[in-house]
Amino acid sequence: MAKAIAQQDFSFKQTWRSELSDYITAIAWSSDGRFLVACSAAGEVSLFAIPGFQSISLQGETGQSVDCLAFAGDGQFLAIGGQNGQVKIWSLASDSPELMTTLENKSVWVDRLGWSPTSHALAFSLGKYVQVWDADRQEVVTTLNFEASTVLDLDWRKDGKYLAIAGYRGARVWNAEDWDAEEEALDIPSATVTIAWSPQNGLIAAGNMDNTLTVMEWENPIPWLMRGFPSKVRQLAWSEVPGSLDVPILASCSGAAIVVWERDRDERVGWGNRILGNHEGTVQAIAFQPGSLLLASAAEDGWVALWHQGTRLTQALTGAPNGFSCLSWHPQGNQLAAGGANGELLVWSQASRGRGFGKA
Amino acid sequence: MVAADVPSSVPVTVLTGYLGAGKTTLLNRILTHEHGKKVAVIINEFGEVGIDNQLVIDADEEIFEMNNGCICCTVRGDLIRIIGNLMKRRNKFDHLVIETTGLADPAPVIQTFFMDEDVRSQTSLDAVVTVVDAKHIHQHWDADEAIEQLAFADVILLNKTDLVTPTELEALEQRIRSMNAMAKIYRTQDAQVEMDRILGVGAFDLGRALEIDPNFLGEDAHEHDETVSSVAIAESGTLNFERLNAWIGELLRNQGPDIFRMKGILNIQGEDHRFVFQGVHMLFDGRADRPWKPNETRKNELVFIGRNLNEEQLRAGFRACLV
Repeated sequence: MAKAIAQQDFSFKQTWRSELSDYITAIAWSSDGRFLVACSAAGEVSLFAIPGFQSISLQGETGQSVDCLAFAGDGQFLAIGGQNGQVKIWSLASDSPELMTTLENKSVWVDRLGWSPTSHALAFSLGKYVQVWDADRQEVVTTLNFEASTVLDLDWRKDGKYLAIAGYRGARVWNAEDWDAEEEALDIPSATVTIAWSPQNGLIAAGNMDNTLTVMEWENPIPWLMRGFPSKVRQLAWSEVPGSLDVPILASCSGAAIVVWERDRDERVGWGNRILGNHEGTVQAIAFQPGSLLLASAAEDGWVALWHQGTRLTQALTGAPNGFSCLSWHPQGNQLAAGGANGELLVWSQASRGRGFGKA
Repeated sequence: MVAADVPSSVPVTVLTGYLGAGKTTLLNRILTHEHGKKVAVIINEFGEVGIDNQLVIDADEEIFEMNNGCICCTVRGDLIRIIGNLMKRRNKFDHLVIETTGLADPAPVIQTFFMDEDVRSQTSLDAVVTVVDAKHIHQHWDADEAIEQLAFADVILLNKTDLVTPTELEALEQRIRSMNAMAKIYRTQDAQVEMDRILGVGAFDLGRALEIDPNFLGEDAHEHDETVSSVAIAESGTLNFERLNAWIGELLRNQGPDIFRMKGILNIQGEDHRFVFQGVHMLFDGRADRPWKPNETRKNELVFIGRNLNEEQLRAGFRACLV
């Protein structure tokens, strides 16, 4: 059996390439696999219809950056936000996208947004506030006041029941089933720049500006605190597939380093870690392949690296000489898309993939 | 404290001063002067209107203190976020101007340019320019912010000189000089100043020579009615590096929060190169500079700007490092 796996070619090959005019600020596949979308620091938003990658320009250059975008959990909607304070939402019910609405916000920079994984509720940052807008009712459901600072990140729990908002002094978690209920505060004596719920709902990880990582068990007041990062912890990724002890693996990046955390049997250890140190520039994005422990990382050194089991470098992909800025896995995991600092868009596809062997 | 040495990094000018001192007038002069260049302006102050530029970003000041309570780890969250977003553009801008409010503490602004890796790698702080309303500054002497904006400054414009008498102006300049012996002071009306005096100053560039106002050094006794003052040391002799290191280390540990800025050029035993250093609170950066020239008199020059500085103690500490 082992021999049969070894003979299969699991490597990724570039299968598509395009470009926008400036730095790719975000890239994403829709969950139904129908579309790939990318946006740029010049304000462009381009949708590509799969499988032929026919390009549909949703917005041309505006001179003001589009900083974030997201497909709704069921792929029915696409939302973008950026420097001009607008949030635009397109309906993707038919094959030709239709602009549903534009939410205008004055003098704020909308740079974080996310759809509830289970409904058509869209949360987006508005300075120190987060607004939740419902696409079915086409109205604002609630406005949450983070207070301590401008919102630096937000993430829905995977069951859609909670929304975590991060910024100065840590995170606050609101109950999405009762927005008026008092939020839970996860106090961190620094500023939290990135936050991520684990797929199995139990854990929440926060990357902080003071070079630390905090991992909390929901409703357990005592967090784990990981120190020793070379700089701020800027991105986090949980594996969909559990690692040891049936707990997902957590990847974190800080400067040029990627640190992979795995729950340890020994309570005194808490989480064991290993450092993936091959990158020579700041790592801008990390993500586990859906259904496996293959980790992808995109860095300013111009490499997208693939790490087998989050451990060993198996492949290095190029195509953005001035650095990569973002990446996204196809929901099936057989394609990987990445964006570059000069507007490059690339897709690599896995020649063949042995489903079920993702985790040894 | 490794200020961005990358030549492509974008220079940053910080404008401070009270509302009405003339910051916006100066800002508009900068924008007119840099016509054709891409200038981004971050402003924290509402009320001052009429900025003639495409890219003006309004942002509330957000102070982020880190867990250890260390004053040098206090940074400006708004600047980190905005500069991070702005620097993604391929055709970036040529110059960034940050206009703070009259109530802003300049230290977190400066520290942001040394503490945050993204800001540090893509921008370089050129100078802190403080505009003073020569007529009305007297109303603000009790405010820490007013004093600190002067103490942290690299360039000070004594503006609205037409509204005060020459005697008053002289007394004001003396008073400011006793606080900050390092800054260049210009007397202006309507914020009229040669642009090369405030742009391309390189005040945080270690390679630029330290300049202490010779008048300040020449005076035998300084009035110390201010809690914020400058202490300048200019002496010949050779320093023992280990002792110097221990002295500076102890100084920063014990008095870091009170030392706003320091700069120096030193003659180290056994070294053919000048040793240069600068500091902002506990952030310290020092390195070997160019070699001493054959005909150059080797000497040591240091300036400390801070609160409750003990001049005698500093001089004694320095002398104990002499070989």
